[in-house]
Amino acid sequence: MGREVAESCIDGVIIEMVSAYASRFYSSKPDLAARRIEAIGFQVGHQLSERYTMERPRFADHLEAIKFICKDFWSELFKKQIDNLKTNHRGTFVLQDNHFRWLTRISLDPAAVANNDATSESESGADMTSMLLYFPCGIIRGALNNLGISCAVSADMTNLPACKFTCDTC
Amino acid sequence: MTTTACFIVVSKNDIPIYEAEVGSTVRQKQEQAHQHQFILHAALDLVQDLAWTTSAMFLRSVDRFNDLTVSVYVTAGHTRLMLLHDSRNEDGIKNFFQEVHELYVKTLLNPLYLIGSRITSAHFDTRVRALARKFL
Repeated sequence: MGREVAESCIDGVIIEMVSAYASRFYSSKPDLAARRIEAIGFQVGHQLSERYTMERPRFADHLEAIKFICKDFWSELFKKQIDNLKTNHRGTFVLQDNHFRWLTRISLDPAAVANNDATSESESGADMTSMLLYFPCGIIRGALNNLGISCAVSADMTNLPACKFTCDTC
Repeated sequence: MTTTACFIVVSKNDIPIYEAEVGSTVRQKQEQAHQHQFILHAALDLVQDLAWTTSAMFLRSVDRFNDLTVSVYVTAGHTRLMLLHDSRNEDGIKNFFQEVHELYVKTLLNPLYLIGSRITSAHFDTRVRALARKFL
């Protein structure tokens, strides 16, 4: 277990999967495409969390499980840890990654963003990126579900390449 | 040396997803197989309580019945690997659990495997029995 794969292949597969679901399979129903992408991420997160928790002792409470996601799980996936973790101690956690690896290869065309006539272009650029973010949201949700925390995960990408994932357990 | 042993895997929803008689006795296990299952399922309550007190994965012996002991190994996803046995070989049992855990993770990585459903793969069954012969 644990063979290696080139990072450009991972980037390519994910971008193509998102684009296939969003533009080809469910082109008229974007929310259905988003749900399918998130479901794929859920299964991947479930499997990955099972694999990465094999060597270490189990978790005593929710906070330790979230810290595992921020440190070990994130560094296995993206070779870095989550930069900032905030909680309101009432079940909501915000994980902030200041340089999210999978978004570094995405460019929003600056000419389209500046141009008023092409508002649909800039919208579809932002839509594509938000479609892409459903996959890591699903991964986090699947991993937390396996560790016993059921929650809803949403992503916020107001300033790229930083990205904030909000996990809501209630 | 004849040993009795019964091994089950229980998912986190308390549904047994795999069971096997892995002892080396041949004749008497047929009559006592249902009794073994009963003892293992009765031990689930004890496992539930014990699992929250420690962060280790291998909970040694959680229950006794006559001369049989129940040993349990809990994964991070709260899947319990339970073994009913009469031997005293703790190191062998711990190694057995670790190897079966690896097999279980490989089963999970199969994208066509529905998480929480019964493990029906004959390959998994063969490997578990081979591991049991090796370690128990």
